[in-house]
Amino acid sequence: MNLVADQTFRILLSVITGGVAGAWAIHDLVFIARLRGADRRDPLVADQRFGYAMGIVIGMIGVVGTLRFNGVL
Amino acid sequence: MATTATAPEAMAKVAEPPRVVSPWNPANAVTASRYLTLPLLWWAVDHGYHQYATMFIIICGLLDKLDGLVAKVFHCRSAFGELFDAITDGLCYGFGLILVAAYGWAPVVPVVFVVGMGLVNTGLRFVYIKRAGRAVNFKSYAMERIVGYTGYLIGFATGGMEVRFFYWAFVPVMLVIVLHDAKRMLVDVIPGAAGVTAAGAAEAEGPR
Repeated sequence: MNLVADQTFRILLSVITGGVAGAWAIHDLVFIARLRGADRRDPLVADQRFGYAMGIVIGMIGVVGTLRFNGVL
Repeated sequence: MATTATAPEAMAKVAEPPRVVSPWNPANAVTASRYLTLPLLWWAVDHGYHQYATMFIIICGLLDKLDGLVAKVFHCRSAFGELFDAITDGLCYGFGLILVAAYGWAPVVPVVFVVGMGLVNTGLRFVYIKRAGRAVNFKSYAMERIVGYTGYLIGFATGGMEVRFFYWAFVPVMLVIVLHDAKRMLVDVIPGAAGVTAAGAAEAEGPR
C-alpha cells in the first residue's frame, strides 16, 4: 500500500534529506564563522562552536548519503 | 521619546515573582501528541508499508519542531517542558530505532550502540540535575543536532535510503558528542548553580 509512486517517494526522500542537510551545513557554517572573534573561555561560546562544527559534519553526511542514494557517488 | 522607570516602578519590577507555567499547556500537549504516532508507526512497519511508516516518523519529527513554536506563541516555556521534550525525544526515537531493527529494516549493531549511548546520556542528565540541585534541562547545541539526525535514522530505515551508510556514519559522531557532553555534565562548573555566577563558571572553565 503506497501513498505516492516509488519514483516520487525517492525524490521526496532526496529533497527532505539532501535539501535539509545542505541548508543545515551552510547555516552552521555561517554561525561558526560569526563566532570567530568570540571569547573561547565562555562556556556558551565553546558549546556553540562545538555544536555548529558537529552540525556541519552531520550536514555533510546527509549530502553525501543523498548523492550515494541517487548513484552520484 | 524614551521613558525612564521611576524608583517605585523599578522596585516593583524587581519584586515581581517569576511567572508560573502550568504543565498542562499547549506546548506540552503538542509534545505529548507525538506518542500517538508510535502505534501508527508500529502498524505501518508490521504491515510492511514503508511510505506510511516514513510519513508517521516525519509527523513525529515535525511535532517536535512545532512544540517549541507553540511554547513561544503561547508564552508557556518552562524547565519542565524542556525536560519533557527531551524525554519524549528519547522515548519516541528509541522506540522507532528498536522497532526498525527488530523488523530487520536497520542494522542491529549501530542501533544497539545508539540506544545504549542514548541511555548513558539520559543517566548523565540526571547526574547533572543532581549537581545543579534543581530540575534543569542540560542544553547542548551538538546534542540538538544529533537528535535531529536520530529522527532521520528511522526515516532512512523506513524509506530504505542508504541505510548502512547513514547508520554507521552516525556511530562515531554520536560517540564524540556524548564524550564531549559527559565532560560538561560531570566535570565542568554548572552556570547558575548555587553560589556560581556565569562569569565565575567561565573563569573556572579556563582556556580551551
